[in-house]
Amino acid sequence: MEGKKFSQVGRSVTRIDGPAKVKGEAIYTDDMVMARMAHGKIKRSTYAHAFIKNIDYSKALALPGVLAVITGEDAPNKWGIVPQTANEVTLAVDKVRFHGEGVAAVAAIDEETAEEALDLIEVEYEPLPVLLDPFESMKRAGEILIHENEPDNVLHQGEQLFGDPDQAFAGCKYVLEKKFYTSYVNHAFLEPHSSLAHYDPQNGQLQLWSSNQVPHYLHRQLSIVMDMPMNKIRVILPAVGGGFGGKGEASSSDFCAALLSRKTGRPVRVTYDRNEVFVTNKGRHPCHMKMKIGLDQNGYIQAVDFDNTLDGGAYAGWGMVVMFYTTSMIHLPYKVPNARARVRRVYTNKPTCGAMRGLGGVQPRYAMECLLDELAEMMGVSAYELKMKNAVESGYRSVSNLHVPHTEYKKCLQTVVENSGYLEKHGKQPFGKGIGLAGGYYISGTAYTLYLSYKPHTTVLIRVDTEGGVTVHCAAADIGQGCNTVMAQMAAEVLGVNYEDVHVVSGDTELGTFDLGSFASRVTYASGVAIKEAARQINDKLFEVAAGMLSCRAEQLEVRDRRFYSVFEPKKNIEWEKVVDVYTNTVGTLTGIGHFSPPRLKGIDLTRGERVQGANIGHSPTFGFSAQAIEVDVDVETGKVRVTKVTEAGDCGQAVNPMSVEGQVEGSIMFTLGQALYEEMHLDKDGRMMNACLHHYKVPTVMELPEMDTTIVDSYDPTAPFGVKESGEGPVQPTIPAIANAVYDAIGVRFTELPITPEKVLKALKEKQGK
Amino acid sequence: MYLDEFEYYAPKTADETFELAGRLGSQAKVLAGGTDLILNMKQSLLKPQCLIDINGVKEFQGLIYEAGKGAVIGAATKISELEHSAVLRDKYFALHQAARELGSTQVRAMATIGGNICNASPAAETSSPLVALGTKVVINSAAGERELPLEDFIIGNRKTALEQGELLVKFLLPEPAPQTASCYTNIGLRNAMEIDAVNMAVNLTLEADNRTVKVLRLVMGSVAPRPLVSVEVPALLVGQALNSNLIEKAAAAAAGEAQPISDIRATAEYRREAVFVLSRRVLQEAFNAAQEV
Repeated sequence: MEGKKFSQVGRSVTRIDGPAKVKGEAIYTDDMVMARMAHGKIKRSTYAHAFIKNIDYSKALALPGVLAVITGEDAPNKWGIVPQTANEVTLAVDKVRFHGEGVAAVAAIDEETAEEALDLIEVEYEPLPVLLDPFESMKRAGEILIHENEPDNVLHQGEQLFGDPDQAFAGCKYVLEKKFYTSYVNHAFLEPHSSLAHYDPQNGQLQLWSSNQVPHYLHRQLSIVMDMPMNKIRVILPAVGGGFGGKGEASSSDFCAALLSRKTGRPVRVTYDRNEVFVTNKGRHPCHMKMKIGLDQNGYIQAVDFDNTLDGGAYAGWGMVVMFYTTSMIHLPYKVPNARARVRRVYTNKPTCGAMRGLGGVQPRYAMECLLDELAEMMGVSAYELKMKNAVESGYRSVSNLHVPHTEYKKCLQTVVENSGYLEKHGKQPFGKGIGLAGGYYISGTAYTLYLSYKPHTTVLIRVDTEGGVTVHCAAADIGQGCNTVMAQMAAEVLGVNYEDVHVVSGDTELGTFDLGSFASRVTYASGVAIKEAARQINDKLFEVAAGMLSCRAEQLEVRDRRFYSVFEPKKNIEWEKVVDVYTNTVGTLTGIGHFSPPRLKGIDLTRGERVQGANIGHSPTFGFSAQAIEVDVDVETGKVRVTKVTEAGDCGQAVNPMSVEGQVEGSIMFTLGQALYEEMHLDKDGRMMNACLHHYKVPTVMELPEMDTTIVDSYDPTAPFGVKESGEGPVQPTIPAIANAVYDAIGVRFTELPITPEKVLKALKEKQGK
Repeated sequence: MYLDEFEYYAPKTADETFELAGRLGSQAKVLAGGTDLILNMKQSLLKPQCLIDINGVKEFQGLIYEAGKGAVIGAATKISELEHSAVLRDKYFALHQAARELGSTQVRAMATIGGNICNASPAAETSSPLVALGTKVVINSAAGERELPLEDFIIGNRKTALEQGELLVKFLLPEPAPQTASCYTNIGLRNAMEIDAVNMAVNLTLEADNRTVKVLRLVMGSVAPRPLVSVEVPALLVGQALNSNLIEKAAAAAAGEAQPISDIRATAEYRREAVFVLSRRVLQEAFNAAQEV
């Protein structure tokens, strides 16, 4: 085990991207202007399900200032983040499957002309029945199919069996089964999608600037849609105003900009309006779940049975992955010896669901943490005691073969219970006031690429020379989460320099070395491994030179505070720059390259040793944990729930930048508090979204911000680079069930459907009084 | 998203404005804060050929209070000015509260009280307190001036009594009688940037005994096409010494009078429930405040 003494890691240093953003100087894609740049706009479907009989864009083309119009026929190649299920096209071909789907796109000399041209495009539709409910969609599949090659209107269904849950339930003293429903929500990131494409007809090279969090996967999809080799395409991320999963795949704006640029020979920019962000969605899957948990007489979990129908919307997107994540998430953070999951991801004529912060975890976590709360009550013990009893420990291996190398989950639970006074408050406050406890965890990186490949998931190249000092190259995506800063801190740590000395070149598929992207809370861990390896190569070479200059042996040297020291005679030391200067003068620029390949574990049922379908999904090099105690005030006359205080404790391993961790944790809580109490997309019966704007889609404001008390528990994962784990998706997990459990504590009603609106609360209170 | 082309006029005086409004007639819309108008234009719900920007007309702006006479508020006065006015907080508390609740800080910096009223949204924040306070509006045109009680000015959902060429130029708030207090309350999903599911204002004057209701107005917003002035609540309470029993009865009466509809924000049933709770609370609050005047 390596030491925990750090000088650059573990400091709340100023974010590299901070000052420019605060001053309004950061350049986002929509801020970029190029010579002869044209503006693209997308014509959107006015039906949720219809055949396209004809598209006549002759009048649009004739409008002065219009440069080109494209339709689905211009790019029929299907794309999708999961290649096995790729079924999206840039613009609809023959058929539209959700209200707002793109049917044509226009490039014009300015945005106003492009918008005017959209009105001149005539689309003739033959409407089809609109399926908005997943159960209706499955039922009516014989009569109407959303995708011709998906016979049951189901993208995929899966069944996983681990151990023998039926037998285990038979021996349980306490068994509880309930249905839960989670709502249809969107990320509501601040910066709408924006894409600027520049196709150069002279060299056949395409450059795309995009507001995206997975430049590599975007790169790949562009290659497919554009029918161009990847080495002719370069993807660059300017500043990105948040993603939360919603930019975790390509967007039609990327393809339309690229196609229109190739067609017009000009740079083309496509920026979405907020309503386009909503109607193209890719937010969290609404889940219709049934969960059953069985405990033995001592309160130990014996079995979990989980049934989930995911309302996927019109296309596949991340759907299959999300579906199997929901099954994987029942195996932690408690020891579950027997489990079964039956899940299906259903097509409906809604804007497609996709990846959203803590994907696949939030829904089953809500069910599981609420059930455990109720089971504790059945047993007459506190939820704290029940959760502590079942919590996983370092080295735990789930029956599904998930391996947890290190965890401080129990410490998280203990800390929140102590800091919040949970045991003193729970069940003891006046009617209307309540406190709820919940825990959760999330992956810290994945084990597999989305397409079949064995290549490393991240490569970091570090370049050192007298001109640039230290430059870290990696095509990771800083979407506001701060990975550029933590990468600089980690590189500086190993190289013995200050983080301010490190330049980070990221978000560029040409200048940066390979990285899969910012999703699954993977970048700190993955880049950390690669940075360590690359930086050590640099140190090895510099140590030899420094040793010569100091007349000692290289292995007797250490580097810190920008100096090389002899560990035996610290007086023997020399400035880091002088050594670099000598190295550069004699050899030239110095480079080191490091890679990260995650450990791979097979998703098997350990009791039988058999492979289980989809069970590779959910494996991770390590896991982050969070526990929350949330206090609410319920206005029992109006039904309004106000979250007054959130006490959180999280295990993110060694925090590289504690200030960034705090931001992630507080942001996670507010993000999810919105889904618990306020946010929901509403569609009318024709599938048209009724609140596709931030005025009517209710993201919590600063007025809803509760008091927050968050703790980074002392933790260090010895298997992780610098001891790190994730911190941006674990804290998302406990918020909803902690609120639901708090509401129960306050008014004695368990809410199993989101969001918990004043209207639902009041109705439930009346029903309770009636009884 | 993009606005259609329009002619833009920026008069400097009231007379100039009336002349323009008379000449341009129904082709023109008045631009004050623009927080409703521009939004509607961007969504192509309104397509005026001309805009008359009245922000440069000094006569339409500002709040003047004269002890014993009451307050005069120019139609183009920004909500933020009202929000921060000490005299409003002291004398017309309900309007002060409503101004604080309207939109966001940014919206309040742009929006005007005249715009909030002329837009005539059933969920408007300022109409309930203004009606409760007995406000009259002054309407002007090149042809002359007329006055109307505010409740007669707002005639329906997004409909006002303005004739072609007319502008709402100011609000006249009577001097509050002794032992008077006013209060405002609202409910929506969030506590800011909300369109009210229900709002409500009450203006209450007590007799010298400090217990008996002398005059009372209770006005509900967002539960009818226009501000709903309760008839039954004053009928129950005027002349009575207030107590919680009576307040409870009055609240039930208010809930009975409400004519709510179901929409994306709330069901009719919930709104009626909220009217009951809010009117009880706001009556109690006003009663307590009036006793302390």
